Amino acid sequence: MATTRIIIIGAGVMGQGLAEAIATSGEEVTLTDKTTKLAERGVRGIAESIEREIHKWGLTPSDKRAILARIHPSADLSQAEEAEIVIECIPEDLEKKRDLFERLDSFCREEALLVTNTGTLSISELAEATHRPSKIIGMHFLNPVTKIPLVEIVKGLKTDEETFRKAVGLAELLNKEWITVNEYPGYVTTRIIVPLLNEAMHVLMEGVASADDIDRAMKLGFGFNVGPLALADMMGLDVVMSWMENLLAELSDHKYNPCPLLRKMVRAGHLGVKSGRGFFHYDKDGNRLKDESAKTGETGNKVS
Amino acid sequence: MKILVINCGSSSVKYQLIDADTELALAKGDVARIGMAGAVLTHKPHDRPETKVSGDIFDHIVAIEYVVAILLSENHGVIEDKSEIAAVGHRVVHGGERFTDSVLITPELMGELRTLIELAPLHNPHNIRGINAAQKTLPDVPQVAVFDTAFHHKMPPHAYIYGIPYVLYKRYGIRRYGFHGTSHQYVSERAAKIAGRPLSDLKVITCHLGSGASIAAIDGGVSIDTSMGFTPLEGLLMNTRSGDVDPAIILHIMAREELNLHEANTLLNKHSGLSGISGVSSDMRDIEEAAGEGNVNAKLAIDVYCYRLKKYIASYTAAMGGLDVLVFTAGAGENSAAVRAGTCGNMGWMGLELDPTKNAEASKKERVISSAASKVQVMVIPTNEELVIARDTKRIVQAAG
Repeated sequence: MATTRIIIIGAGVMGQGLAEAIATSGEEVTLTDKTTKLAERGVRGIAESIEREIHKWGLTPSDKRAILARIHPSADLSQAEEAEIVIECIPEDLEKKRDLFERLDSFCREEALLVTNTGTLSISELAEATHRPSKIIGMHFLNPVTKIPLVEIVKGLKTDEETFRKAVGLAELLNKEWITVNEYPGYVTTRIIVPLLNEAMHVLMEGVASADDIDRAMKLGFGFNVGPLALADMMGLDVVMSWMENLLAELSDHKYNPCPLLRKMVRAGHLGVKSGRGFFHYDKDGNRLKDESAKTGETGNKVS
Repeated sequence: MKILVINCGSSSVKYQLIDADTELALAKGDVARIGMAGAVLTHKPHDRPETKVSGDIFDHIVAIEYVVAILLSENHGVIEDKSEIAAVGHRVVHGGERFTDSVLITPELMGELRTLIELAPLHNPHNIRGINAAQKTLPDVPQVAVFDTAFHHKMPPHAYIYGIPYVLYKRYGIRRYGFHGTSHQYVSERAAKIAGRPLSDLKVITCHLGSGASIAAIDGGVSIDTSMGFTPLEGLLMNTRSGDVDPAIILHIMAREELNLHEANTLLNKHSGLSGISGVSSDMRDIEEAAGEGNVNAKLAIDVYCYRLKKYIASYTAAMGGLDVLVFTAGAGENSAAVRAGTCGNMGWMGLELDPTKNAEASKKERVISSAASKVQVMVIPTNEELVIARDTKRIVQAAG
């Protein structure tokens, strides 16, 4: 297999989304994971995502063939040796990410762009795991990557200008609008959206309005595409809670205290779309079910 | 005078080297998959067999370097020295209202071309990339831009203004422009030659039926109306494009299926037309085959295709107050007897009648396919857009001295 210019490490949801976006732009990309099986499962996930998009008229079957032909699954991390751009998409665990960057540092090309795709972790801290902290940068893509036109480009304390310019080049290749973020907990998007979601949960818990009415109010009143409670369900309530806790720990401001209803739901395993139940109910494909409880004004106090 | 004609797409470059004095294409070919693995150049000199070269062709500059190299190569080349290329002619899709004729490319002009990207975001950026690449590879050779829209620039306002607030025309240049100009121009000129009358005396309708399709009403050599409008989506049914639809349908579908702009755009440009109706293929040959085997939707797709053509032909005849020559060209126009028969059937009332035998004959040559009694001459004329670009390039370069 020919070595590609871009390599992605981690074939989970974000890795898949990025590989699909890169291949759609016309570039070849290698998608790696710990085993070939995992990497191939990632490619199957991409194929399914493209199928959904064909169904929505956004792509054609010939696009599908062309896009999939540009994605090369692999379990061989050493392919990153020749790559110009290495994008890390493994789970949000600082220790694992540090280990990975230490390894990448040992064999990647000196001028390679090393990108971490994190929503919360400190770029500067990751960068210190390497001998080239100036070459490390964060790019926070939002899920689903192919649909959300934004990326936050996050500079660590030592990230240099050239590295930043290369990251901008990658954003432009993917046709994304980008904003510059000087590393700080939660960056811009997470920092602002998470308290909003938390406040919606308080409003529900306090019995002010039903979940459906809260979401409709924010959609119709402020032009949100998705209401805050449905959005929390999509992100995963456990993920939202970990972001809150992370912000609370970093910034020590009580406004980041997770809503008790959120804690209760996470403990009960109601994690949102992925568990079939959060503030609303979902089938196994993630489609929202007609949800009578939301309409009748049942409040969060009765949820569990 | 040898002229290199270049047509740049997003990941392809098509080229011909044409001797503009003898009008012979010395070589033609294309570079495909630029910037991807497996990029390949296919080259065919006029007097030798085709050859393929693959390599690391990572951008348009490298692609054009490959083209020039193979034109010079010992075994496959057709020239001995780079300096034999007297000029480069570029196809540029959109000239807006600013460019009514082909132009010599200057640095100031490149700026103006870039402002037109807004009007043709899918095509003009690649055309501009091609110009930049050719300037790098052939720095001392004059370059000319030939526009798809230019031939239609004399369309009168009553043909190009849409029924929407006039201020939108002023603000964003939203009007009908028309495309395929070089093809409509070429076949109308050939039609006059075949008819043996000056083009200035003729009322001609030209049907360019490639994967994109358009029809033009050419009165005395001037395009007075054409079916493609602000973009190449309007007008005839095409292979994968819808052509004319009720604009409210788009808003309705977007709401019902919760589509975003990109999805709605792809729906109309890539999932519609012959492909969308037939569900079989986007290629007329496949659809005719399926219809022959009894596929009802394939038959329906052909019927819609021909019916819309027929309506346009009759309305353009009314617009010109008569019709002398009807021309079919490109893909289905040159190759599908069924499309020509389906379109021209039952038009005896306007003095148009095909000769079924002549129509059915498969040929690559220019030919008349109407009956001896038909008042309107119907012709099949293979198009040659590259030759028009070469001729225009020669004219512009000579005028510039």
